[in-house]
Parts: sequence; structure tokens; C-alpha cells
Amino acid sequence: MPPTSNPTAPPHPLRLLVQVNLLQAWRRLAAVRHQSRWLTALILTFLGGYAGLAFLLFHKGLRFASSFPGLGAVLIERMLFLLFAFLFVLLLLSNLVISYTNLFRNRETAFLIPLPVATNTIFQWKFVESTLLASWAFLFLIAPLLLAYGLNQQVPWHFYPVTLGLIALFIVLPAAGGAWLAVLLARHLDRRAFQVAALLGAVALIAATAFWLRSDPVTDEQLETRVLVVLDRLLMRTRFALSPLLPSYWLSAGVQEWAEGALGTAVFFGLVLLSHTLFFGTLTLAGMGARFYHAASTVQSRGGLLARWTWLRVWRQRRHRRARARSPLEALADHCRWLRPDLRALLVKDIRVFWRDTTQWGQTLVLFGLLGAYILNLRHFSQQLTHPFWIALVSYLNLGACALNLATLTTRFVFPQFSLEGKRLWIVGLAPLGLPRVLLAKLALGSVLSLTITVGLMLLSCWMLMLAWSHTLVLTLTVAVMTLTLNGLAVGLGTVFPNFREDNPSKIVSGFGGTFCLVASFLYIVGSVAWLAVAAPLHSLGQVGAVRLAAGGAAFLAVSAAIGWLPLRLGLARLRAFEL
Amino acid sequence: MIELRHLVKLFGDLVAVNDLSLEIRPGEFFALLGPNAAGKTTTLKILAGLMKPTSGSARIAGYDVQTQPLEARRRLAYVPDFPFLYDKLTPREFIRFTGQLFQMTAEAIASNSETLVTRFHLDPYLDETIESLSHGTRQRVAIVSALLHAPEVFILDEPMVGLDPHHARILKDVLKERSRAGMTVLISTHQLGLAEEMADRIGIMHEGRLIALGTRDELRQQSGTAGALEQTFLSLTSQGVPQAADRPRPA
Repeated sequence: MPPTSNPTAPPHPLRLLVQVNLLQAWRRLAAVRHQSRWLTALILTFLGGYAGLAFLLFHKGLRFASSFPGLGAVLIERMLFLLFAFLFVLLLLSNLVISYTNLFRNRETAFLIPLPVATNTIFQWKFVESTLLASWAFLFLIAPLLLAYGLNQQVPWHFYPVTLGLIALFIVLPAAGGAWLAVLLARHLDRRAFQVAALLGAVALIAATAFWLRSDPVTDEQLETRVLVVLDRLLMRTRFALSPLLPSYWLSAGVQEWAEGALGTAVFFGLVLLSHTLFFGTLTLAGMGARFYHAASTVQSRGGLLARWTWLRVWRQRRHRRARARSPLEALADHCRWLRPDLRALLVKDIRVFWRDTTQWGQTLVLFGLLGAYILNLRHFSQQLTHPFWIALVSYLNLGACALNLATLTTRFVFPQFSLEGKRLWIVGLAPLGLPRVLLAKLALGSVLSLTITVGLMLLSCWMLMLAWSHTLVLTLTVAVMTLTLNGLAVGLGTVFPNFREDNPSKIVSGFGGTFCLVASFLYIVGSVAWLAVAAPLHSLGQVGAVRLAAGGAAFLAVSAAIGWLPLRLGLARLRAFEL
Repeated sequence: MIELRHLVKLFGDLVAVNDLSLEIRPGEFFALLGPNAAGKTTTLKILAGLMKPTSGSARIAGYDVQTQPLEARRRLAYVPDFPFLYDKLTPREFIRFTGQLFQMTAEAIASNSETLVTRFHLDPYLDETIESLSHGTRQRVAIVSALLHAPEVFILDEPMVGLDPHHARILKDVLKERSRAGMTVLISTHQLGLAEEMADRIGIMHEGRLIALGTRDELRQQSGTAGALEQTFLSLTSQGVPQAADRPRPA
């Protein structure tokens, strides 16, 4: 029996998909009013605070830069080119990750494929959705900057809508690139091959960045007598952002030319952007359906195309055979005889799950890799730092940067641990191990892993800044205390505010508990670093009285203990009364 | 109505479906049985177009699911074991949306859904958001949406998961009625009782191959057993539980 059909009546499937998902999004938004007012207030305050603070900083920064006679305009121009170039790369990566998840790890896609919806239509919808998901943060990030730039340049009103239009054209290009890359990756790389490629790519990127940003010693004499030459050498390193082949160049040039009133040139760059957006946009929207379907089928079929290579098959077979024996991780855990066997099993499981989720260690690697690269480069910087005040300032800034990086990771990875375990409570919760011990094991694992990184980075920072051992000890102990506190806070709040309905850790984190955890972590870090910088200034420790030092340290320890321990205690109390 | 010819599906080294040829007639109720990892779900996914076969072909109502996908899918309904539903929609909205994707008119959606909604006792839930429904109710919403466009072929993977005995009975009755009216039904299940009660023919898959095919009586003859289907099944698949990594590559 053929289906009842009337081709003119129902809307096009793409329109239907947009309508249905808009309705879903609207209802999610509307559901906020049924959620905690605290959550809404907290999120709005955080967003408004960021936008306001960012605007103020950009405004002051741009005014400061423009105050350099003759140089201000060049500096601002170059900074905009650089900013958009880096944002282009970030957008490309963001689109790649989101497109991959949205196209190949998404239940809606699997639902739509067996329906009479052309695969190209499914791809088109997923492309639109991924572009919006990947780009909204970009708009949020640069809006305060563009407003500050417009005020600084005293632009006419039409600068803002034109800039918005240029940005709308621009975001399509990294989105198209990200979608193409995602389809290619899905088609040709399975999980293992992707992990290896991601690792090699990250190493190559860090090596290339380190080479490109290698130090270029400048003498005091040069700084005093040949400022323009030094500046020119510095700007040479940033010339890549001026490549006319980069879409970010077209955007930056269009925005700046419009701001300066050179409307003809601005329109030219706008048209360059428009033509490329139309070309690549059309290519992506019209011609990716079959490729997407083939890649989706390959992902479903688990074995990537690389499995066709004999050497890889043989290697995998060997791995399978080895997997039947005890793994090195289990062998290592066996040596920890002071731990109960069930606790060891839990830790081995958690480490395995972490390692096998590329997105988890990938983000950790990128965040701390960048911080490590920055700290390593301090060896050149430290030669210029002769005044103890600046050394102390950089030390405390490094402490703050390290802790802030850690806070994003504890919120992203440690906070959802209990919620994720909740899905498997039938095995972990019913085991004689007991849930409180499970929680403490997670705290211990998270703390040990974090301590290895943060203490290592802080020691490296102190070494690069050639600090005295006493200062090194103070900073290392401080970061250790902060690490324990942040882990305690994340584990505790994760238990107090669990979400057992979600499988996706990023969605668990986006709830009230996760937002609260992130904000509390940030406030704690900023407050602690500021407090310590005042109470125990490294550059004049000898001049500070012992009582003031002791009081300052005790206050820091007390606040840390309270922030780390109280949520943990609440979480443990909740677990003791927990009904499976 | 469903036609599989020399279907092969490889997952890397693993042969999930090995040279499977099968024809299911219009109006036939066919049950696909087999131990875990026998290749049943993979076969259904290939038929639903969720994955490409490594070689061979699959046709629905005469249309190749790879080369004429839209024609095949217009005549198909597929309900997996854990179907996807839009959490923030109501069942009424979801059903309408599915009908529109099948290019049904508003009148056809209204008239077809009314009967099904009443039959599956979904009236009280029609305007609740799907996220608030129980697993069984969600399963019923998925089934109603799938049946809405009166498919010629209905493929279900473990259809009774989450359904209470009352609604399981209703589903069986509806499937049998539709099957008698000409709809081809293909189910994959571990519930041997369901296959025994409902199926016109049964296929048993093992290690990616179709090792037995026929009516209940024909299977008994093939296995040399008498009595319940369970004995027949155990006898035919008693070669031992297959190890995925040890499976042979296809001929």
C-alpha cells in the first residue's frame, strides 16, 4: 500500500527539522523559569559580568594602545588581524569537534536516516545546527571587543550591522571546513587511529608554535635607541595573520576599512567574503550528503578503512591477544597492595575510561600543553625580569593561570563523575565497596593526577623564574592545597547536584551544580591568589612580619579547607542516605 | 517484499553478516532469531539504511536500499530497541512531525493517528512532553509513529522491550492484523515465545550466517527435535557461543 501523499501540503523536511528543533530549544529555554532562580541569576550574572568586564578591559586596552603616537593605529590593526586569525583556527577546531559529534554520535541522525529524508537534507540540518552550536561563543566573545573598538574609533552607527553581516558570512567558512574535516576523519580514521593522529598533530602544532615563537633577544640599548626596529621584528612574527588568503584577513580588513570610512575597500572585502561563503557554503550544502552517509556507515561499522591495511590488522590481532593477558595498568595496580582489591579495580576502570575517551585527555593535553609551553618560554622572559616585584607578580599570575586551568578540568571531568557512575549504580553501588568509598577513590584519583600536573608546572615555573627555594616551597604548597580544594569541591558538588538522566558529561556540567562549581572555583582562585599576593608578597617576604604571614597562610588554609571539605562532607552525607 | 542477496558486512576483521540471502514475502510475519552477536541487528540496520553492506544487496518492496534509498524508506518503518524521540515534544507533536516527514496530509495524519493512539491507550499522554513518559509509553509512541504512514514493511528490533503484558498483547494483535492486510513484518528478538506464537517463518542466524529457515515445523524437522521452539533453537545453535575475533572471513 503506497503512503498517503500530497506533495504540496507538508513542508520540506529541512523546514520541518528546523521547526521541531526550534520548538525544542524554545521549550528548553522556557523550562528555565521552572528551574532554580539561583541558577538563572547565577548564569545571567556570570554572562553579564563577563560581557561588561571584557568591554571595559578592551576599551581601556584599545585606548592605551592608541595613545602611542604613530604606533597606536598599527598595533591595533595588527592585534585585530591576529585575534581574528586565531579565532578562525579555534572556530575551525570547534566546528570539527561539534560536527563530528553531531553527525556521527547523535541519536537524532540515526533516527532520521531510516526515514524518507534525503541524506543531503539530514546533513544540511546537522551542518546548520553544528555551525550555530560552534559559533555562538565566538559572537559572545568578540561582541564586547567590537563594541569597544567601535567606540574607540568613533564609528558611525551602520558599522555595527555591517560588522554583524560580515561575521555572519565569515562563520560559514570555518563551519564548512570543520564539517568537511569531520566527514573525512570519520571516513578514514577509527578511534585508535584518530587518537594517534590527534597526539601527533598536537605535538607537531606545539613544536611549530615553539619554533615560530622562539626567543629573539633584544638588548636594553636596542630597546632605548631602536624601538621601531625592535617593533618591526616583533610584528614580523605576526605577519602570517596578514596573509590575504586567510578568511580572517577579509573579515578584519572589511571591519577596519568600514570603521575608517573606506567604504569601497570594505565592500570589496565583504564581496570576497561573500563569494567564498557562497561557493564553499553551496559546495557543502549541496554535495556532502553521499559522503556523509558513507562516513556514517563507516563509523557504524566500527572498523575504519585503515583496518584494510594488513600491518594494522596484524598489530590489532596482537593487541587482542595481549588484551587477554593482564594489562600493564592492572599489573601496576597489583603492586599497590595497600589498596583494597575492589578499590584497585575501580581505579583501573576509571583510568581506562578516561584514557579511552579521547576528548577527555585531548582537552587536558591542549590546556596544560599550552600552559607548559608558556612557562618554558619564561626562561627568556626571566632575563628581562630583574625587579623582585615583577618576578613575584608573574609567579602569582602563573599560580592563578595553573589553578584556573585546573578548575575548568575539575568542573568538566571530576564534577560529572558521580552522575555518570549513577547510570551504573547497579554494579558499583551494590558492590560491598560502598558508595562513600567510591567517592573518596574518585577524589584520590582526581587529586593525584591533578597534583602531578599542577605541582610539576609550578616547580617548572619557579625554576624558570629562578626563584629561591623558600619561594618555590610556598608556591608549590599553595598550588597543592588549591588542587585538593578544587577536586574536593568538584567531587562534593557533583554528588550534591547529580544528574542521572544524562549520559553526556558536558550536559551534566551545564546544569546548576556544574555552573555553581565553575563559578565557585573561579571565585576561590581569584580570591586566594589576590589574598596571598597581599598577605605574603614574595618580593618582600623578609619584611613581612611572621604573625602577618602566619595569619595570612592560616586564613588561606581555613578557606581552602572549608571550600573543599564542606561540599565533600555534604556529598558523603547524601551518599549515606542514598537510595539506589 | 524484503530481499537480501549475498549480503556481507564486515566490521574490520569481524564478519558480522556472512553471505546472507533471504526473501520475505508480502504480508509475511518473519522472526529473526539467534544468539548475541549473531548479526541480526546488523542485518536490520542494513535494511533500514543505517549502514552500507560490504557486498551484496538489500531491497525493500523492490527498491534497493542503497541505490534507491528514498523509495525504499517511504515504504519502510523501523523501530530499534531504544528508539529516539524528541524529549521536549509531546507525543501529538512527534506523531504529526513523523507523518509530515512521510509527506502525509494533515487529514491523513489525524485519521491514521486517532485509531492507533486509541488502540495503544496514548490519549492521556498526548499533550505531556515525552521526557516525562515512562520507557514503555515512549516505546508505544515510537510504534504508533512508525505505523502512521501504513508502511509496507515494518522492521522491529526487540519490539516488546519495556512494554507491559497488556500493551505487548495489543502490539501483537496490531502486527498480526496489519500482516494479514499485506504488511510485511520482520522482527529480531530473543523472545522465542513471541516468534513461536506470531511468525509465519523463522530464520535463525549464527555467526553471521542464516543456519536455519522455515516454519516452526520445518525447523523442528531440520533440527531433529520435537516440542518447543527453545529446544529447536538450542539444538541448531549448540555449536557453542561464537568468539567474535575468531570468526572466519567471508568466502
